[in-house]
Amino acid sequence: MSVGGAAGGAPSAYEPQKIRIYGLAGSIVGLYLGAILNSALNTEVFSFIGAVAAIFAVVMGANSVRRICAYGIGTGVPSIGMLALGMGIIAVMFGLSLAETVGFGLAGPIITLIYAGIFGYIIGVIANKVIKFNIPVMEEGNADLSMAGALAILGWSFAVSGTLGYDSIVNDVLMTGYIAIIFIAGGLAILHPFNANLGPDEKQDRTLVNAIMVGGLAMIATGIGALLTQGLAIGLLQIVIGFAIWYYFFKMYYKLVKRDASAVVGTGLLPPTVQ
Amino acid sequence: MMFDETTIIYILEIIVGGLLVGVGVHFVPVGGAPAAMAQATGIGTGTVQLAAGSGLTGLLAAGLMMSVTDNIWLVLASGAVGAGIMVGSTMLTGSWIYAYAVGVPFASAKVTYDPITGFSQPPYIAPGTVGHGIPTVCYVSGLIGGMMGGLGGAMIYYALYLINGNAALSAMFAIGIFLVNAVIASWNIQGTIEGFHDPKFKKWPFAFRACLIASALLALASVFITGGA
Repeated sequence: MSVGGAAGGAPSAYEPQKIRIYGLAGSIVGLYLGAILNSALNTEVFSFIGAVAAIFAVVMGANSVRRICAYGIGTGVPSIGMLALGMGIIAVMFGLSLAETVGFGLAGPIITLIYAGIFGYIIGVIANKVIKFNIPVMEEGNADLSMAGALAILGWSFAVSGTLGYDSIVNDVLMTGYIAIIFIAGGLAILHPFNANLGPDEKQDRTLVNAIMVGGLAMIATGIGALLTQGLAIGLLQIVIGFAIWYYFFKMYYKLVKRDASAVVGTGLLPPTVQ
Repeated sequence: MMFDETTIIYILEIIVGGLLVGVGVHFVPVGGAPAAMAQATGIGTGTVQLAAGSGLTGLLAAGLMMSVTDNIWLVLASGAVGAGIMVGSTMLTGSWIYAYAVGVPFASAKVTYDPITGFSQPPYIAPGTVGHGIPTVCYVSGLIGGMMGGLGGAMIYYALYLINGNAALSAMFAIGIFLVNAVIASWNIQGTIEGFHDPKFKKWPFAFRACLIASALLALASVFITGGA
């Protein structure tokens, strides 16, 4: 893995194509697995799989934020994270609603994904051709971002509502206002990793581990939402799993920070064992 | 949903709303990180944060008005005034900090004389900076931009609410349309702008075209969504 070379795009150890395939497959399979297990066993215990599926999408999104923003877009990294979630929420609502209208609710995530991919690609084309950004990875990066935002929102919405049905997502996630938490927590998970790690010594594995870590935090947030929509046990399960993910990847992130830093010195504020 | 006359009107309303947001962003004096250190003119944060802040306030104001009446003019006025107040108070409190805490005189580096007050600007610019604070012309420009954003957000919300009849859904969808247009417009100004007197303002037709395409796609998607149970 190499460092620097911001002008020519971010060097990466894991190819973006590979991360895209893992991200899309992981989150789609996770979503359907959770939805089918929930409806087949007539329970809501497996809602947490939705939040785990969202983490796959988040990693893909964080990687494409990293690729696009390495060229410098001039408006700060947060803008592109908000764009991802803005495109994502529209794709989710469109996909779920259309699937419900045609009477085949389970097709929702696929329609969402297709719309998100096409719309993101078009936004990328607009950015390059009309706004004249001329960033080579803009089209595919934006398509990735849009799909990642949509799948992340869908995964967390499923974690809160327990089904992929449009009506129950509208009632449990939108009408209750949890969508705002999902929106911001999801935005943070996608935009924060690169925003926090950028610089000449930015490394892909550290950025992506940070993404998983924030994804775990978002899972704790959806767990709190699920406490009220699906009951104590299911909410607590999500909170515990989210905390475990956060804790494990926080440790890993800290290890990577120590690996990449020239020196880590204590200020005396934390006990020496933590350092 | 059938593509009858009303649907086409809703689509047009959403497109016009998106365009208002996109062009409105160009009026807001966005300073970004340099302005946060008082080294550039404008409000010290990014376009998206400002656009989202004012736009969401506009949406709230429009939604409140919509719960009482469905007169389009009242809803639009409420949205515009709500967003205008939000941007105005942000700039006002920001100005207090620039004036009394940071201690910089307000000066624009893009013009020699303030187009509104006629005050000379260059003598007040500290060496090594590109202006600081929020001069009168930026303040007025920001108010116009905020009101345009709020107007656009309210128009999007109004059309969406009439399509699906669900306030929460319309609000979230409007936020999505709002953010997409605001980010495209902020890419066009490359992060910072002082207002309508800034030379970068002349680039607005690019954002207009980009937002037109994006809003049209979003509008076509939004007429398909239903209000749920």
